[in-house]
Amino acid sequence: MTTTRSLTPYLFLVPAVLLIGVFVLYPIVSVVYYSFTDYDISTPPVWVGLENYQQLLGDDTFWLALSHSIVYLLVTPILIVLSIGLAIIVNRRLRGIHVFRALYYIPAVSGSIAIGISWRWLFDTNGLINSFLISLGILDQPIQWLSEPAAVLPIAMLLTIWAGVGYYSVIFLAGLQNISEDLYDAARIDGCSDVQKHRHVSVPGLRPQIVFVAVISSLAALKVFDEIYVLTNKTGGILDSGTTIVFYLWEQAFRLTHAGYASAIAIVLLAITLVFSVVNIRLLDRRAEAD
Amino acid sequence: MRSTRWLGVALVAMLAAGACTSGAAPSASAPASASAQPTPAASPTEAASMNPEAVIPNVEDGAEITFWTFYLSPTFDDYIQATIDRFEETYPGVTVDWEDHQATFLDDYRNAFAAGNAPDVANLSNNEGWVREFAEKDLLLSMTDSLPADVIDDYFPDLFNDSLVDGKSYQVPWYQAVPVELVNTEIFEAAGLSLDDFPDTWDGIPELCQTIKDATGKLCDIRLTVNDYLAQMVYEGGVDVINDDGTEFTFDSAEAVDWLQAYVDMVAAGTVDRAQLVTADDRTALELFTSGQAPFYNTGPQLIREVKSSNPALYEKLAIAPFPVGRSGVIQPTSMAISVKADTEFPNASMALAVFFTNPVSEVEFSKTVAVYPSAIAAFDDPFFTETPELIEDSARPLAKDIISKMKNIMPSIPEKADVNAIVGRAIESALFNNVPAQQALSDAVAEANALLE
Repeated sequence: MTTTRSLTPYLFLVPAVLLIGVFVLYPIVSVVYYSFTDYDISTPPVWVGLENYQQLLGDDTFWLALSHSIVYLLVTPILIVLSIGLAIIVNRRLRGIHVFRALYYIPAVSGSIAIGISWRWLFDTNGLINSFLISLGILDQPIQWLSEPAAVLPIAMLLTIWAGVGYYSVIFLAGLQNISEDLYDAARIDGCSDVQKHRHVSVPGLRPQIVFVAVISSLAALKVFDEIYVLTNKTGGILDSGTTIVFYLWEQAFRLTHAGYASAIAIVLLAITLVFSVVNIRLLDRRAEAD
Repeated sequence: MRSTRWLGVALVAMLAAGACTSGAAPSASAPASASAQPTPAASPTEAASMNPEAVIPNVEDGAEITFWTFYLSPTFDDYIQATIDRFEETYPGVTVDWEDHQATFLDDYRNAFAAGNAPDVANLSNNEGWVREFAEKDLLLSMTDSLPADVIDDYFPDLFNDSLVDGKSYQVPWYQAVPVELVNTEIFEAAGLSLDDFPDTWDGIPELCQTIKDATGKLCDIRLTVNDYLAQMVYEGGVDVINDDGTEFTFDSAEAVDWLQAYVDMVAAGTVDRAQLVTADDRTALELFTSGQAPFYNTGPQLIREVKSSNPALYEKLAIAPFPVGRSGVIQPTSMAISVKADTEFPNASMALAVFFTNPVSEVEFSKTVAVYPSAIAAFDDPFFTETPELIEDSARPLAKDIISKMKNIMPSIPEKADVNAIVGRAIESALFNNVPAQQALSDAVAEANALLE
């Protein structure tokens, strides 16, 4: 009886452990192994030791892709500010506010590829943006936005922000609704303006959500792929202008069939992601303690 | 509590990396040396006496073979299934399990070899380099060694020899497009041009684009072959890209620089759509033409039906011009292929299926369903190809045999092809869009590519 009782919780854990083992741990261990091999997917891997990692150090495109991914992290603070702003706006008792909340959330439930294709049409040579600018007389000739190396990454970042604001604002909206009205009343009695009220009550009250969004959105930014894949038509952009670290990983693994080298990139990305997340949380924790 | 959070962060990061990785399992596929040994080619007389389409002898009784096609379902389900049914009647006791794979075909095929369950017979692309990729890894059966000589003779020789590896063919050629130029006559007329002004050779394209841009503001919708820049250099520019013994790249010659400079000048003059020029997705270039915004587009007549369904107004203004030949003087073959995996359990049945789908009867039937053209010489004797067609999408039909007979694969074997192509791509983009002189871009690329051969 005692043995059965002590085994029961472990039996409940078995399905989850099996799933995580098969679909998470085994692939990760495999990737670690492949990162030390020359592996082209269709023939067996050949052990090459640290060669892939040594090659990474001298690979200019890898460093360019890494720099693009780091630049992409700029979407995180912008997303946080815009999402909090939007959450404050929709956190009002206005007629039809539920409709607005649903509208802002639509990008979050739309497929990233569908969104990417829509944006490609927007920025196409014959797309809406060029037509609009030409109709206003701002442009004489259409700009080929997605083949301008300087424009690809900003357009992709803009897309990520547009698609993410609705989702993250829902998180902040939930946070705002947990802040006691008494605090806002007290702030009002103390003479705070609307802006000061949010600065001194809403933002500190949203700190747990800010930590969560900062970690999740920065991880998503480091992993960005879909936007680049669709906007650049699978090329990474002219002169690799939109190539991010995960796009480069994909290109190495599936276009050039260097799965071993791609695995080394994945391991480096894992390390960066881990370090970044730890630093992110620690910094925000310190600030919370200081407050 | 804090440690739990760190564990959570670690798990999130692991998931992030896990999401980026291939799901391919470690290879359990048989080594290349385990190639199937088909029964030596023999005269198919006995089989042929029963059914003229049964040309492969000693087909394994009870064979169950898997067959993958590329992007043919659901449009051609009826044709494929009817052909399989006829095959199974021709070779009683053999059954075919057919699957169609689409955008993920190449990944699926690679992964299938890794998992040890690759299909016996697969529809590969010669042009995209798929046949060579797998043949060079000893994963495909040599058709040169395995097929009866009289069966090999049924195909256009240059199509059968399209993707030779060490002098042997690892495919039988299937269907192909005949390259033509679709012309938007409305834009041509607005530019003061007629169909006769379309150049016979590639050298006339830059001037044509300049004329159209000056008169109408429209940009040319032409593409660099981003998956195989060297092939474009070879056919279009007449460039020798590698020396005879395959030990040194030579694509920084005067001919190569001249070829690249022509594109650099077109980009500088703003006469080409830059996004289409370097896109890896030919659909977007076709869509640009279909929308009526481009003066001409290089494709096959089979895509005219897409113009017809997407933009009937443009279809009314459509004309076809002959494909402008490059400085090599020959046209690159564009055939799809059928290959058999090297370690198939049923080599004769697999070869029989490959040959059956590419015999004159099957190919003519396929051509009747869509404007693709056969690889079997005798197929062109059918009245379907000899009679004069009425519709524009059929206008290449009587010319096809002549055009296909001029197709020739003059592309040498390129070691480390995918990597070299990536290097050449970066060089071309740096010349086109980053003001690096064409000579310097190509010479740097040659040095980088040669380092791969060391």
